[in-house]
Amino acid sequence: MLQAHSFLWNYLWVAPNVLLLILAFLWWKRGYGEQLPSFFAFAIFSAIGDLAVFWADVSPSVSALDFWRVAWASLLIESLLKFIVIGAIFAHILRPYASISRVGRRLTSGFGAVLVLLATLAAASSRGDSTVRLISGLHLVEQTVFIIEMGLVLFLFLFAAYFHLSWDRLSFGVLLGFGISACAHLVGWAISANAEPSAYGRTLLDFFGMAVHHLCVLIWFYYVLVPHRVTTKSPVPLPENNLAVWNRELERLLQQ
Amino acid sequence: MTLAIILVIAAALGLTIVLAIAISRSLQISRPSSPSRKIESIDVEAFRNLVNPVEDDYLRHRLSPSAFREVQRKRLRATAKYIRLAAHNAAMLVVIGQAALAASDPTTAQAARLLVDDGLLLRRNATMALMRIYIALAWPGSGLAASPVLHGYERLSGSAMLLGRLQNPAVPVRISTVL
Repeated sequence: MLQAHSFLWNYLWVAPNVLLLILAFLWWKRGYGEQLPSFFAFAIFSAIGDLAVFWADVSPSVSALDFWRVAWASLLIESLLKFIVIGAIFAHILRPYASISRVGRRLTSGFGAVLVLLATLAAASSRGDSTVRLISGLHLVEQTVFIIEMGLVLFLFLFAAYFHLSWDRLSFGVLLGFGISACAHLVGWAISANAEPSAYGRTLLDFFGMAVHHLCVLIWFYYVLVPHRVTTKSPVPLPENNLAVWNRELERLLQQ
Repeated sequence: MTLAIILVIAAALGLTIVLAIAISRSLQISRPSSPSRKIESIDVEAFRNLVNPVEDDYLRHRLSPSAFREVQRKRLRATAKYIRLAAHNAAMLVVIGQAALAASDPTTAQAARLLVDDGLLLRRNATMALMRIYIALAWPGSGLAASPVLHGYERLSGSAMLLGRLQNPAVPVRISTVL
């Protein structure tokens, strides 16, 4: 069951990507493309890229070298689109809050730069898991991408939580999927690139990565398909206090 | 191998944070609480005294350097407490303001927008002021400029009062006293 190219292996590789294409269709059909067009592009290109890598894996006409080239191309496009989606979500969340949007953008840029530096250091300290640079390089780039992605997603979640910013359902769902995916994949690629796992261990890590990807696609489906609960917002009763000094201060300020 | 362990621990921590945020968000949606109950009163005059540079100078001249540093540390800790409380109140007011943003009355919605903006600004200023306090705790003689927080808090309170008046014109004074 837990063998490369078993039924489960093929299912976990193909099914999430087919579902991702369906999700992209639903995304466009429901008009979410206008709200977050970058996720629509990500869903399409990521699914096609992964399916192309699968085809390169199973097709006898594709050489091993070409397989890794396809994997590289898919990784680079997917990573670029992921960062565009994360940036778009952050801009979307900050847009209504003029008072912190500038500091938010600056902090994100600064934190992003630190993450790139840290990820580069981690890559430089890694031994690599293959003598073929095309393979070890791909694993290190995966590790680098997931370090930066995880850091950025965490930063956005913590920033929004600290300032009590309100999330729209779709942005939250997309970022939640990215967060879970980045954390889980980082575990896999960190072990793969640094701990020299056995061939079977590597296969298990592949299963783990694909299962997590499947879970994330299902999370995105949930946020797209299940309607959000409508909560009635009644006027908030404001609490009392007897700070007369403060009251006078407020009255004075209101007259300014 | 060490790097792998570090990255795995970091990823596990990251996953815990992401899941905790997701769970707390879903709990907030299913069981909305009243943020106004969590607002705590602040003695603004006491805070003013704590951040008053004239008081600093007075103490500096009256006390020996070591006694001044000791007193100053205590004052800084108290100031930090006030600022954390102000930041907490600001967060609650942001939540209240966001709930009122969708009000049908445009004046109320505008007041809510102002409250949210002022609350976020205060929270940002409070964070920066806290960082300065922690630095000042290491060097008590370096001086502290927490007055932007005070002004921010006063503005925020004014916004909250305006919003409260618009939502409930019958009790304007009680609304203003809370902050």
